[in-house]
Amino acid sequence: MRVGILTLFAAILATAAFAADAPTPTEADYYKITDLPIPAGVVLEVGALEMLPGDVLAASSRRGEIYLVDKPFSSNPRDFVFTKFAGGLHEVLGLVYRDGWLYATQRGELTRLKDTNNDRRADLFETVADGWEINGDYHEYAFGSRFDRDGNLWVALCLTGSFSSENKFRGWALRITPEGKVLPTTSGLRSPGGLGMNAAGDMFYTENQGPWNGACSLKHLAPGQFVGHPAGLKWYDDAKLPGKKPETPKSGSRVAIEAKRIPELVPPAVYFPYPQMGQSASGIVCDTTNGKFGPFAGQMFVSDQAASTVMRVVLEKVKGRYQGACIPFRQGFSSGNLAMLLTLDGSLFIGGTNRGWGSRGGKGYSLERLNWTGKIPFEVQTMSARHDGFDLTFTKPIDKKTVEDLKSYKMRTFTYIYQESYGSPEVDETTPVIESAVIAADSKSVRLKVKGLQEGHIHELHMAGIRSSDGLPLLHDAAYYTMNLIPD
Amino acid sequence: MTDPSRRIPRAVFASICIALIAFQAALAADRHPIVAGFERFGASQKADPTAPGLLLIGELGCTTCHGVSSTIESQINRKHAPLLESAGARLRPDFVRAFLADPQTVKPGTTMPHVLHGLNDSAKKETIEALTHYVLSNGTLPEARPSRKSITAGEALFNQIGCTVCHGKSDGKPLATSIPLPDLGAKYSIPSLAEFLANPHRVRPSGRMPSLNLTAQEAQVIAHYLLKDLRVNVRPNMRYEYFEGDWQKVPDFSKLKPKASGICEGLDLARAERANSFAMRYSGFLRIEKAGQYRFFLHSDDGARLLIDDKLVVDNDGIHPPQENRGVVGLARGAHKLTIEYFDGGGQVELEADIQGPGFSIGNTIRLRQDVSSFVTLTEQEATPPPPGASTAGSARFTADSALVDKGKTLFVQHGCSSCHQPNPAGKSVVAKPLAALGDSASGCLASAPPASSPMYSLNTAQQTAIRESLKSAGSFESKRPTPAQTIARTMTALNCYACHERGQVGGVESERNAWFTTTQKEMGDEGRIPPRLDGVTAKLKPTYLRQALAQGLKDRPYMLTRMPRFGAPATTALADAFDTEPKLGPIPAITFDDTPKRVKSAGRQLVGSDALSCIKCHTFRNSEAEGIQAIDMTLMTKRLNREWFHRYVINPPEFRPGTRMPTAWPNGQTIVPNILGGDTAKQIEAVWLYLSDGSSAMIPAGIGRQPLPLFAIKEAVIYRNFIEGAGTRAIGVGYPERANLAFDANGIRYALLWQGGFMDASRHWSGRGEGFQPPMGDNVIALPDGPAFASLSSPSNPWPTLKAKELGYIFRGYRVTPDQRPTFLYEFGETRVEDQPVPVATSKTPSFKRVITLSSDHPSDTLYFRAALGETIKPTPNGFLVNGEWRVSFDGELKPIVRNSAGKTELIVPVKFNGKTATIVEHIEW
Repeated sequence: MRVGILTLFAAILATAAFAADAPTPTEADYYKITDLPIPAGVVLEVGALEMLPGDVLAASSRRGEIYLVDKPFSSNPRDFVFTKFAGGLHEVLGLVYRDGWLYATQRGELTRLKDTNNDRRADLFETVADGWEINGDYHEYAFGSRFDRDGNLWVALCLTGSFSSENKFRGWALRITPEGKVLPTTSGLRSPGGLGMNAAGDMFYTENQGPWNGACSLKHLAPGQFVGHPAGLKWYDDAKLPGKKPETPKSGSRVAIEAKRIPELVPPAVYFPYPQMGQSASGIVCDTTNGKFGPFAGQMFVSDQAASTVMRVVLEKVKGRYQGACIPFRQGFSSGNLAMLLTLDGSLFIGGTNRGWGSRGGKGYSLERLNWTGKIPFEVQTMSARHDGFDLTFTKPIDKKTVEDLKSYKMRTFTYIYQESYGSPEVDETTPVIESAVIAADSKSVRLKVKGLQEGHIHELHMAGIRSSDGLPLLHDAAYYTMNLIPD
Repeated sequence: MTDPSRRIPRAVFASICIALIAFQAALAADRHPIVAGFERFGASQKADPTAPGLLLIGELGCTTCHGVSSTIESQINRKHAPLLESAGARLRPDFVRAFLADPQTVKPGTTMPHVLHGLNDSAKKETIEALTHYVLSNGTLPEARPSRKSITAGEALFNQIGCTVCHGKSDGKPLATSIPLPDLGAKYSIPSLAEFLANPHRVRPSGRMPSLNLTAQEAQVIAHYLLKDLRVNVRPNMRYEYFEGDWQKVPDFSKLKPKASGICEGLDLARAERANSFAMRYSGFLRIEKAGQYRFFLHSDDGARLLIDDKLVVDNDGIHPPQENRGVVGLARGAHKLTIEYFDGGGQVELEADIQGPGFSIGNTIRLRQDVSSFVTLTEQEATPPPPGASTAGSARFTADSALVDKGKTLFVQHGCSSCHQPNPAGKSVVAKPLAALGDSASGCLASAPPASSPMYSLNTAQQTAIRESLKSAGSFESKRPTPAQTIARTMTALNCYACHERGQVGGVESERNAWFTTTQKEMGDEGRIPPRLDGVTAKLKPTYLRQALAQGLKDRPYMLTRMPRFGAPATTALADAFDTEPKLGPIPAITFDDTPKRVKSAGRQLVGSDALSCIKCHTFRNSEAEGIQAIDMTLMTKRLNREWFHRYVINPPEFRPGTRMPTAWPNGQTIVPNILGGDTAKQIEAVWLYLSDGSSAMIPAGIGRQPLPLFAIKEAVIYRNFIEGAGTRAIGVGYPERANLAFDANGIRYALLWQGGFMDASRHWSGRGEGFQPPMGDNVIALPDGPAFASLSSPSNPWPTLKAKELGYIFRGYRVTPDQRPTFLYEFGETRVEDQPVPVATSKTPSFKRVITLSSDHPSDTLYFRAALGETIKPTPNGFLVNGEWRVSFDGELKPIVRNSAGKTELIVPVKFNGKTATIVEHIEW
């Protein structure tokens, strides 16, 4: 197996180069996980997280409860007091606060909750919108977003099972206006795992491997567009969108080929190669902390339920469409990461559950916090495509010798079959040639000239050989760039 | 007179004829023996250039006449011709005649050569007649009619289990690599085809037609499907007695004299002598092969009764439209008397009886109901239904003529039939030039027009070339045997293993057939439906297991509907031997533990359970369902897998199965559960291995099965929004400390259910993925009417709206709860806002509900009604109304309820009287 060998090779190189000096730094040296122990008797399979005024964390659960956690930023576990704010709701997978109300996305409706008598329990449950249907299939989840720049809340609706849309708007992303109006907005969803915006305020969701999805991915939800699974297109006329109904894609094709034929089809912005990067993409946050979460301001982070990890996503727009790279970021969470919340002070709260879907972290459910320790890890900071290669920037000054040595790199490309059956193997593999690597004057970036870039392919880059100017290997030496379009 | 303008000009007609002749010639030229491996991989096999020719030499049986040394024989995987010992019980005479006259036309793609091509027409006819009598002298063809239910079940099975992998879909476009099926109805009867499908190796010992390990029932239904267009007359198998009269129910036949009686085929209502007002009594003996519980279904118009051994099992009596009733009875193996009594009181006449039970279960996904009369015989003694038939489709009863049999026996040897086919009455074979001496020959069988003395195989050019190519090197085979790699590739080609399995980047499922591979676990992706690649199979599977899989077939992946067939030991021993020589993974050193074996196994058990690696979330364990997908059973693992492979696989599954959904349990070889066995990866894997080695006696790990999760309302109310049976997908269940409960349907904006006692068991929704609807946990459940509770009626006689609340524009606004969580539901319609508060009332007997509804509107309507009940009966009582005799409803104050008819039911509606901008209804419900 190519990947296996590459990883092994990288691991040997990294160990060999570093063993002589100091112990190899680990993720924990830069980003620390703090457990917020869930009290005995509480089953908090976290579905969504939100910060309320007064620094109180709200955590909703798949069992339909919402707990308040006091002093969530504390370093003393005894400070985390859990109080039940509400119960009896239907699998809450979205929480956001506005103007005294906590908005909770349940399977069948968007509800807002209020505590009118200040006893720390919700007593008013107002239905804001219920313009979609469910039928009892477990798969028909509804994920809710935060408010977008226009004040809308987005709801992403899973299909009925993996293959069909039996009820209205299954397989769609809807917008709920501040007035409670439901606007079916984007078609083609299959099995979302979370919603989130980038720094520019554009809405994205995570999609999971399955029919019409060769691997998990991050997809941009643009109004009127189609993101790949045709089952939900049957509701197109009910959606009352201005454009024409997208054509049904051809099974067995490639998404890049179909996107040329079907103008509404937006390919995934970033694929998360399966299983190298994970098997179940879920929550999305964007680092808007202005540096409080480390050297990745403006970038997005995506969790993976199966691998109990958080990945980093570096996006750019090429010819008007999003694409970019994913890079491993942090592993070792206790349960199956589902919900994430990044607060302005730089605390990334992560809630997990592995009911129904196993996870590497073996706990049934968990609530954890990830904080930057203040030390800068040596990482690829950005990866952007050029017409003839890639520009990579780094979080620390780089060593000219290893960075310009072509033996420091390995690259291959591949893509997935775009098909109605479940998932896809990696196909159409190519091996582009890295012709040169030129370090920039500021010693923080390198330009790779690559012959054989492939449109529609994931470019898997391993950089085991490169070192920072202080002799460190990369904390994560792999990046996977989804090249939907090659820039001019 | 023919209209001259319609006549085809002679020149055009001639050219059509020429085109037709050319077309037929092209068809004929295209008729050649079809060997799937040759059709698919053709003559170009760079790694093993002689393989295509050797494949054909083996498949066409060349070496039966062209002698070879044992060394050369080892290079050839010879297919044996069908055994003809019992052909008379299998084949129709007309088929045998036609097939002998022109094999490629009657069975396109056959590897049987045309042996009689050199005879003139009269000699050929005589020879064929004699051969037919000889071949069919040994048996009688049993007969049965195709039944609709069996055809449906057979079609599903045919398309599911792998028949289409070699033969293609019976109604689709034929694929070049498919083995064509002849007109099977012309060849077989249903019982004879079923017998062949159940035991193909008895007739074709070389495993090219593998056994799919069909049960007798499965073979039956596939035969029904394949012969679905067969029209045959079968022998009567039931007795009937016919009566005339007017009855309201099945009469007492003991007091009646039949107007007619006799024997018939199945439940034949055509035996009635008039259209209506008659009765029938059918009887016969039902053969049960497997003891157990059997379910009978009786469908009739009008009444009918089904009795087994004179005891009533299904009662579907009375005057009624077509209706079905069922009954269950335990039956021992053997013959049971079946009686079906029926009467018609007028109108339509219908009668069907089905059976379902252990002797009739089919495959994985089909619970078969079959026409019970297919298994009935006239007498208790008759052995196997359906009864042996006397007639065959399209031809008179065949009686072998002893003179012709004797003549045929001589001709059978003389024409060389006995060289390939058993029985070989003379024990002699045709002797032709030894294979090694043929050289680059284009004569004999390989001639474009073979001489009369040579069999005519109708080889196409590619086939001729391939055979000649390998014959050139035949001499050199004297000194060499095939390498294991050659044996594997050649056997996989000959047995068409490549149609399912990829190995060494050769073969695998063809794209045209891909969609035919199906699964019960779609979410497993291709792993759940496509048979595995065979690269590294020696490293993976235990040798005995692999050998057995090839010889006996497999069904370890219940979700994969295509079956691993049984090829038989003779066809696969050399293949298994060759697999044995393939590399295994290096040994895993013995792992020692400081602890007792029992404790090590409990560590293994802990590791696979839900508190550690959670393997059981996706893998079944001793057939207990997993939470998620139902991947291969864990208790089979040590039976199947090599320990060396298991140790390496769990550390990096994608290396062994690219694209697998199996997550890495020990990422990068590191444990994620450091507290078990000191966090030592090798010890942990070994502990799992040892634990699983207990196979089906391994103790169930944590996380299997569902524990009840009852919800209790103790000091405050409990709300449970979920899928509640009877209250919809947006049900809001409320349990009160008073032990009264209700479910509000937020989609229908109505009270859906009321009940007493226990509230809800949440385990269905809070374990696993949480599929489906859960009924209330308590008792005395009352279902309230579907549809909105309020409507505007311009007159009290107008019907209540039938649309759903959401469709009528009613809006659910949520609820408010008291500090002890008691909700008041909020909803709107038009300009009217409603606050609807259920108040449980604890009484000394059973709890009841008071419902306080407050409506407000700026423009109150005076035509608004509240519908309190809908039922079969609503009876006024001194202090309210009794609905269906089950529950009581009453109202406070001066309301004027109206009881009215509504589409065959009774409705209780209450006019709503506003006082200013508000109106209040206080309703009491007791039950």
